[in-house]
Amino acid sequence: MSNQNNLSTGLPYRGRTGMWLYILHRITGIGLFGYLLMHIISTTLILLGPEIYEGAEAVYKNFYFRITEILLMLAVLLHAINGLRIIAIDLWSKGTNYQPQLNSIAIIVFFAIWIPASIKMVNSYFDICLEKSSEGTTIVDCMIRPIPDWKKSE
Amino acid sequence: MNKKITNKRDWARRQPPIEGSEFELKAWLFMRISGLLLVFLAVTHMFIMHIFNDTLNLDYEFVATRWDDYTIRAFDWGLLSLSLLHGGNGVRIVLHDNISNPTVKKVSIIFLFLIILSFFFLGSYGLLTFVSQI
Repeated sequence: MSNQNNLSTGLPYRGRTGMWLYILHRITGIGLFGYLLMHIISTTLILLGPEIYEGAEAVYKNFYFRITEILLMLAVLLHAINGLRIIAIDLWSKGTNYQPQLNSIAIIVFFAIWIPASIKMVNSYFDICLEKSSEGTTIVDCMIRPIPDWKKSE
Repeated sequence: MNKKITNKRDWARRQPPIEGSEFELKAWLFMRISGLLLVFLAVTHMFIMHIFNDTLNLDYEFVATRWDDYTIRAFDWGLLSLSLLHGGNGVRIVLHDNISNPTVKKVSIIFLFLIILSFFFLGSYGLLTFVSQI
């Protein structure tokens, strides 16, 4: 219990990059676990046939959920790349000597993958929406319509 | 410095870390090994579903075509079981670190174990028994 008697800053560790990566690792980890449970349920609904499965998937097909998907990509990439950093520190004999460098590399690699991925996900959303919707649909329509009714225009 | 300066909202007021048993050592190593595998499995899955395809095109037929290939079912089953074990153990450590009452801690970890078990069976059931209706 000695760790509870230390002079405390109110933060788990010393308040620098490593601590924030540790906090982000926990937050993204818990978020991913929650998403995983939801994802298993919605995917298992496929056993009940096309109508029920596609009805469940329709909930995801709007711009608000596209933003959530980009956050999901953020959580997966951050947790994965920071996880590789932790593995390097724990299992590579020289890992602890290069902690500041490993922190920087992890952050740079994360943004280098996540930013292009996000741009692709947003562009692709509008491309498909404009392609599948009736003529005269604008990008704003694609953003504010809760569930685009594409089946009708086909 | 023996005075307690921590307060209730203090993030530093966490429990002593899990340690000191053979099981915890193996769990620690498992998190590293499964994490390494999951970097490959989960990131590949995310890129296939969100970058190379778009979830707007996701429908019954798409999944049925994918699951015609038993390699993809095996891939998905590996992803299902490893992510549940890795995520479950991760949440167990978070619960351990942040709950001080031993009874509440024990009950929540048992509850977590039941959740992992039931979702593992639910997901495996879906993956193994799915037969396309179209």
